Amino acid sequence: MIKTKSQIAVDIIAKIGKWLFIAFFLLMTLVPIIWLIITSFKSNLEYETEPLGLPKVWQWSNYAKALNMSGLPRLFLNSVIVAVCTTALNLIVSAMGGFALAREKFKAREPILSLLLAGVLIPIIAFMVPYFSIATKLKLYDSLLILIIVYAAINIPVSLFLIYGFMSDIPKELEEAAVIDGCSFSQRFTRVVFPLTKPGLVTAGTLVFIYCWNEFTYAMLLTSSVKSRTLQLGIRFFKGQFVVDYTSMLAAIVLTMIPTIFVYIFLHDKIISGMTAGAVKG
Amino acid sequence: MRNKNWKQICLFLLPALLLYAVFFIYPLFYVFITSFTQWNGIGSMKFIGFKNFTDLFANETFRISLKNNFIWSFALGFIQIPLATIMALVLARKPKGWKVYRTVFFLPNVISQVALAMMWTAIYNADGGILNSLLSAVGLESLTRNWLGDMGTALGAVIVQQLFYIGYFMVVILASRMGISESYYEAAEIDGANVWQQEIHISLPNILPILITSVTLAMAYGMRHFESTFLMTNGGPAHATSVLGIMLYQNLGALKYGVGNAIGATLIVLGGVLIMTIRWLLNKKSQKMMG
Repeated sequence: MIKTKSQIAVDIIAKIGKWLFIAFFLLMTLVPIIWLIITSFKSNLEYETEPLGLPKVWQWSNYAKALNMSGLPRLFLNSVIVAVCTTALNLIVSAMGGFALAREKFKAREPILSLLLAGVLIPIIAFMVPYFSIATKLKLYDSLLILIIVYAAINIPVSLFLIYGFMSDIPKELEEAAVIDGCSFSQRFTRVVFPLTKPGLVTAGTLVFIYCWNEFTYAMLLTSSVKSRTLQLGIRFFKGQFVVDYTSMLAAIVLTMIPTIFVYIFLHDKIISGMTAGAVKG
Repeated sequence: MRNKNWKQICLFLLPALLLYAVFFIYPLFYVFITSFTQWNGIGSMKFIGFKNFTDLFANETFRISLKNNFIWSFALGFIQIPLATIMALVLARKPKGWKVYRTVFFLPNVISQVALAMMWTAIYNADGGILNSLLSAVGLESLTRNWLGDMGTALGAVIVQQLFYIGYFMVVILASRMGISESYYEAAEIDGANVWQQEIHISLPNILPILITSVTLAMAYGMRHFESTFLMTNGGPAHATSVLGIMLYQNLGALKYGVGNAIGATLIVLGGVLIMTIRWLLNKKSQKMMG
């Protein structure tokens, strides 16, 4: 096809516009993070006098100070415990529920499914008072256990929806063959459906893990002491701990970002495809 | 006919339903019922009808917060989503390195709001913050200010920080766009339709359902917004950036549980009404568009 001069001009402008658009968003996403990392290697004097340049001497000691001052190892351990236990609890509960809903037919199936999925629409933030009072009534206030239970519950609608979708796609014949071979109801779950749902479980698990790792509001509301403080809540107290040492605080923040970025680098395809699977079906 | 496995079905559903009942259904009733009471959480509840609500709507801070929630909702729904849509349409044509861009744009979604908020606080910082430093470097010293402390810029600064993180919605819209068969575009190309016409007449109608869902979700997030405002300004200066979530938290801290739950109930109801209205409006509009 032959293009006229004006068409060629339009094409060139569109091309430039497209790359400017991409470049703008790359800058908006990356520059703050890169600036944060660079600044975390500066001395405090340099931070104030040379905010834009590279550090003259890279202050690795900021990171040593960050580790020593912030109690980071303890916060880190608490976050790992909460994230791992929540993910396990949430996946077991959601997979069991998803199995019953996806692989059996019964009268209450549709209503239960709609009820559980409606949870996605509820702003959890509105439940500050009830969650606080449930935690106190169960005598679980200020424990890692209450965070595990609350996070696992909050994530049920999303996880169950994802896992249910995967389980619905498994061909009926596989289960029928297993039943002929003498599999019971729970064996159909443990030996046939659960193993076949692995990709769905990995995706849902990754999403729940990242949620737990990054959650702040309810960690703040439901815990008070250092023994049950998670990483995100800990960062909040850095300001007080690093009063005169701003750049070491920035180093501590960089350290807290590393685990999820690390997980993301390895699992980004799974995370992205999982998010879209849930959203596109919805 | 009753399913012969009904006992096991109940057993398998029990854990999920139990957790759901305790952490979704019970709190919902709890919030709505106690919103009509005066209660400090320990003593007895006193039923006071709609007083909490009438007091709230007469309260200046509440009105500012509500207005800010709507600003958040519209900024996310009608600025962030269009930007995410344009990016999705651009990346769907697979420019060089598009997978890398997709990965980068999604990155902020795996970083915690706390870390992002502290990073942006450092960026907006009056002394040593990169924004003021950059402005001074290009000779715009007159524009430098304490971005989060200035009544005129605080709300904008907090919103902008979230607005350009388009990754989540971009990825969702991109997936929908990639689901369209390439043959439509090839046929349009042969008929002489340019890229612009292809996007308007092929892409947009096909991704419309996802766009409507995205706008609705983004607006719902605007109503629920809490964390980054709490961490960056805690609603200040002088309530300029306050939102309902912040007020709810402050009332909980002041042991005004009844008022707190009245705010929570407002949040749930308004969020629901907003979602349904937007969906209804957009669906009606899209039906007109599709003829």
